[in-house]
Amino acid sequence: MYNLQRFILKHHFVILFILLEVISILLLARSQNFHRNRLVNTSNAVVGKIYEWSSEVGNYFRLNSANKQLAEENAMLRRQLSIVYDTTASIFNMNEGDTLYEYIPAQVVNNSTNQANNYIIINKGTLDGIQREMSVMSTDGIVGVVTDVSRHYASIMSLLHSKSVVGVRFKNNQEIAGLKWETNNYRYGMVEDIPTHIVLQKGDTVVTSSHSFIFPEDLMVGTVEEFYPTAVDALSKAKIRFATDFSTLRHVYVIKDLHKPELDSLKAKFQ
Amino acid sequence: MNKTVLQIIRFVVLVLFQVLVINHIRLGGYVHPYIYLIFIMLLPFNTPKWQLLVLGFVLGLTIDLFTGTPGLHAGATTLMAFCRPSVIRLISGNQKFENIQEPNLGQLDGIWFLRYALVMVLIHHFALFFLESFSFRLIGQVLLRILLSVPVSIFLIMMILFIFKREKKRE
Repeated sequence: MYNLQRFILKHHFVILFILLEVISILLLARSQNFHRNRLVNTSNAVVGKIYEWSSEVGNYFRLNSANKQLAEENAMLRRQLSIVYDTTASIFNMNEGDTLYEYIPAQVVNNSTNQANNYIIINKGTLDGIQREMSVMSTDGIVGVVTDVSRHYASIMSLLHSKSVVGVRFKNNQEIAGLKWETNNYRYGMVEDIPTHIVLQKGDTVVTSSHSFIFPEDLMVGTVEEFYPTAVDALSKAKIRFATDFSTLRHVYVIKDLHKPELDSLKAKFQ
Repeated sequence: MNKTVLQIIRFVVLVLFQVLVINHIRLGGYVHPYIYLIFIMLLPFNTPKWQLLVLGFVLGLTIDLFTGTPGLHAGATTLMAFCRPSVIRLISGNQKFENIQEPNLGQLDGIWFLRYALVMVLIHHFALFFLESFSFRLIGQVLLRILLSVPVSIFLIMMILFIFKREKKRE
């Protein structure tokens, strides 16, 4: 016992170092999961508050462009609404039970685009009905998936994350593929599983597919920036330009899928 | 001012400056400067070794809370704190610091400090970017990140220390 004590005292520096490194690596390994650990979750309240103060200052300088963006979205929605009312005026009847999705508006309080794994913090939490695995979109396109929620804040795994995979569909040929983020650039994603017979053009629209289970179908994702056809018997690749500009992200919508519990219980039967 | 209070203020200011300002600077996808290391670099020479480790771990973890990457900065900063005594011994050689409290730019010559900063930042950035990729899969990208980030970090660190040094002389 005495020897052990002496050993620990003599080498306390190295032992403490190894202990702290092991803790760090364990934390890091756990955080690689889709569901991250409680540590980040509990800190959200304090960290979220500090980020919110900071972003409130920044918001004053962006009011102009934010107004413009919201006005444009308003105009677009009005246009869509008028189409619906004109063409299906007799049968169009908005009931509570008819809506599939509920949109919860939120503001981004912190966002990064330059890490290997980027997260976004928004100022809505469980009190506003936000839950894990809800999808998030901006006016322009999809943004990410909610991974952690505290009472007033939620953190979102951005599309700019090494673990992010989104089921997407090319609008003009209905081909389904998986979108990842592999480049270091916050503007582009990568699709790597395109069958050889598919040919894409620059500017082709990419939307979410119904297979994703997280995003509603037909949400804007981006456009094809560059197509890399494969010569050998393999799969083609394409570089996708995100519709969402992650560097100036301010206002987002969290999408609440009202049929999700039903879908989940059905899915659970097969597993 | 009380030494401990000064250290606490330094800790808070550096963390906030890092997460609210530096982390939002975009210089291409590869450049990620980190200046919060100044806190560990400037701790007094007579800081107990175990305190270095604990402070390094706490500092890293605080940054992690803000960036949502538990363990990443904590691991890298703890390693840097672990290496600090050896680095100081290695760089100083026979030089003695009997009347110098902490490794500050005002009290030590610039070349010494530049070498000190270079080694410390290299250790930290190597550990950080390799931990971040969590594998050696993208080794080229990781090395490029290190190569481009280290000079920017050192430049920012030297700038910040230079500003502090001038203020001290004026008092």
